[in-house]
Amino acid sequence: MTLLAIKDLVVRYGAIQAVRGVSLSVGKGEIIALLGANGAGKSSVLNACMGLAPKAGGSIAFDGVPIERETTEAIVRRGMTLTPEGRRVFAALSVLENLEIGAAASAELRRRGRENREAMFELFPRLAERRQQLAGTLSGGEQQMLAIARSLMSQPTLLLLDEPSLGLAPNIVDQIFDLIASLKTRGITVLLVEQNVELSLDIADRAYVLAGGDVVMAGSAQELRASGGLERAYLGAA
Amino acid sequence: MDFLVQQFVNALALGGTYALLGLGLAVVFSVLGLINFAHGELMTLTGYGIFYALFLGLPFPVALLIGVTLATVSAMLMERIAFRPVRNSSPTTMLLTSFAVSTILHILFQNLISARPKAIPIPDALAGAVTIGTLQIGAIQLISIVVTALSLLGLTLFLKRSMLGIAMRAAAEDFNVTRLMGVNANMVISTAFAISGLLAGVAGILWLFQRGSVDPLMGFLPVLKAFIAVVLGGLGSLSGAVVGGFLLGFIEIALRAYLPDDALAYRDAISLTLVIAVLFFYPQGLVPRRESVR
Amino acid sequence: MSRFLKIGVSLAALAISTATGALADDVLKIGFAGGFTGYLAPYDQPTLQGIELAVDEINNAGGIDGKLKIEVITRDMRSEIAQSAVMAQELIDQGINVMLAPCDVDPAVAAGQIAQGAGIPTIAPCASTPTLPGIVGDYMFANYTADNLQGTALADFAIQQGYKNALILISKDTPYTEKLPGYFAKVFEAKGGKLADAVEFKMGQQDFSAEVTKIKQLNPAPDVIMTAAYEPDFPAFIKQLRSAGIATPVLGSDGIDSPTTLALGEIAEGVVFANAGFPSAGSPLAKFNDAFKAHFGQESSTVYTATGYDVIKIVEAAVKATGGKTDGASLREAIDNLENVPVATGTITYKGMNRVPLRVVALNRIVGGQKTHVADVTPNGADVPPAE
Repeated sequence: MTLLAIKDLVVRYGAIQAVRGVSLSVGKGEIIALLGANGAGKSSVLNACMGLAPKAGGSIAFDGVPIERETTEAIVRRGMTLTPEGRRVFAALSVLENLEIGAAASAELRRRGRENREAMFELFPRLAERRQQLAGTLSGGEQQMLAIARSLMSQPTLLLLDEPSLGLAPNIVDQIFDLIASLKTRGITVLLVEQNVELSLDIADRAYVLAGGDVVMAGSAQELRASGGLERAYLGAA
Repeated sequence: MDFLVQQFVNALALGGTYALLGLGLAVVFSVLGLINFAHGELMTLTGYGIFYALFLGLPFPVALLIGVTLATVSAMLMERIAFRPVRNSSPTTMLLTSFAVSTILHILFQNLISARPKAIPIPDALAGAVTIGTLQIGAIQLISIVVTALSLLGLTLFLKRSMLGIAMRAAAEDFNVTRLMGVNANMVISTAFAISGLLAGVAGILWLFQRGSVDPLMGFLPVLKAFIAVVLGGLGSLSGAVVGGFLLGFIEIALRAYLPDDALAYRDAISLTLVIAVLFFYPQGLVPRRESVR
Repeated sequence: MSRFLKIGVSLAALAISTATGALADDVLKIGFAGGFTGYLAPYDQPTLQGIELAVDEINNAGGIDGKLKIEVITRDMRSEIAQSAVMAQELIDQGINVMLAPCDVDPAVAAGQIAQGAGIPTIAPCASTPTLPGIVGDYMFANYTADNLQGTALADFAIQQGYKNALILISKDTPYTEKLPGYFAKVFEAKGGKLADAVEFKMGQQDFSAEVTKIKQLNPAPDVIMTAAYEPDFPAFIKQLRSAGIATPVLGSDGIDSPTTLALGEIAEGVVFANAGFPSAGSPLAKFNDAFKAHFGQESSTVYTATGYDVIKIVEAAVKATGGKTDGASLREAIDNLENVPVATGTITYKGMNRVPLRVVALNRIVGGQKTHVADVTPNGADVPPAE
């Protein structure tokens, strides 16, 4: 069953067309990787899904409902959210407050805030130790954990992850990918934007490769590995 | 020594009013990136609210409440009518919009109410003074200090304890990511304006206690001082606005108290030079706004 | 050829009719370049009301001398000096006979200079700087009580009250707030008083705590404080002065003749201030106030309505004096020689006064939130310090 369906999406920033007619779909329970070089338009696709990038054409449906005209906060309430690139935790807020605001979307979530926070602290014991600390004082890995935990506080059915491994030490990257893989068992669907192709294909069911704002390849992880076309996509020769 | 302590109290009272004003500007700037130059007109509206409430024979405390409510509601309306349509435009567009709102309100006040000041009789009880040792603190000064302290305390509690308060602090750092938390952007901005209106109302009352009248241009000078306080403290930083407000109050009082007579005429120039000197060493202001690592 | 001739003739006719202006029309055009918006609005708006009332009265009676009607053309100079000159030019292009200037000295100079060049007499209804006519030239007249006259009246009163040691509170922001207390101090010292100190403030500062603390330190304490501060500074100053426990008597200028001062309650009790007239029962000013209320349906909120009315009465008297001539030179000459013209605030004399009118200065004392009449004084000309 398709959870997210993007058709002919066009994103334009002034004169620059960042996404030129991308179509892709994410099925319920899948982990989908969106791969491609810098500037291929991956982040723009995610931001467009969340209503944070100017859409110039195409359609986006979440759970069968068209959402391209909805506000960011309304989309979050529908059950889709994004952990943005570069983590972007609220540096001047404590770890606890960062999690608290993650549950701001609805009264129901706010009611269950304490319970959900404790669940997050179980999932990320390092955050539990630092609950009163300001998020800006955390290490990069801890900030990434916090950013994901903060997104999970809204109990999404679909989580968009933008470059979660960016700038992190290799052992931390492994931890993060383990975590992403485990989200599937918690019933959370994932659309993952990454530059780390190997690790992404390890955990992904399917993947799309973007270059110059277009989908240039798509298929299961095995198919993409076998085709050997990935390097070309990254070199922008496709 | 008495002179010094007395001047210190003076600076505390004046700085507190500047802090409230600066905070009002900073709250809106922190979430919207807009210096709302129509902030002063919210003070003026408070004045007219009180004037008409007294005119209708309502008791003084009720009139004050009406004044503050009017400023709060007007701030929210201002956002809804004038600023929301240009929210995603360039900062210059928003700035010019705020100038336009300010000018339109001036002219409406002048032509619909009166260009002449309207008197607001302040109860005689507020004219007294409290004597502590050899120190004499005017009732209005004392009220200024207490009200400023209470307002700062109330705002701090709101920002620390309530979900909306946390959301506002988050929005001040990173507006888009705050929206990704499902926080309603309109709600946050509307609240920011409501708080700025409330602060303008409270500061407006303190201002009115001193001057005893409201006229169309009443808000012009205070908003200028608030702007200086905000720049001094660091644009968009709430604690910075408070620090900037108090510092400006202390600089002004110190110059007025200790400059020799011949130099008094230059005191605004000197005080602005000091402000520039501070900015030279702290270009982002004394308490720069925090932004998340991008 | 004949067609060209016709055009030429009509152009010439047009030129003549523009040059002679209202001579051809049966109407006297008065142009008012006032600040109806901006910081001058509190003065120029009421001035205009007084002007309207006077013009209505005259026109309803058939015009000046029963035949020459008055038309008032207004231009909002938005309280900006540059706009004042622009609007003055526009008015002159409309063929006005007399110009009225804004209520502050700097824009009044700007407007006056344009009219001076065009040979059109200008009257400043409420600008009170005594140097104003001298700066602009022989076509510029003041109307309001001049600052040196007012300062002298207040100093005479202070001496009479037996005050020995005066403190003045001044602001260098305007000539009014700086020079008026200066004239007061000059006369006060010349008559044996002593100036304790001149404390400075910035207009609009509102917070006077530092200044009041300074005044409190003075030894010996002054026995009178004189200032030309007005709203919002004056109420703020006197509040903070009184709440610091300083009970020294305060003398003020006409700037504080406002409902705000009366609404100050206990604090303002006993304050004495000068203004352009007191509406004693049966006085012309009381009659004016009644007429104002009948015409506008509300009380006159300030004496600027009356002084606005006065300006039109001056123009009327001048036109009568010329025998109906309305050209600039005749009117200028006539105004310069007016004597004892009855106006709303009393009488006005220009003859021998270098275009700064001789008027009565009224002294008022605030008692129980009401103005009470202390005296009408006409200072001795020899005591009045020269305009500076």
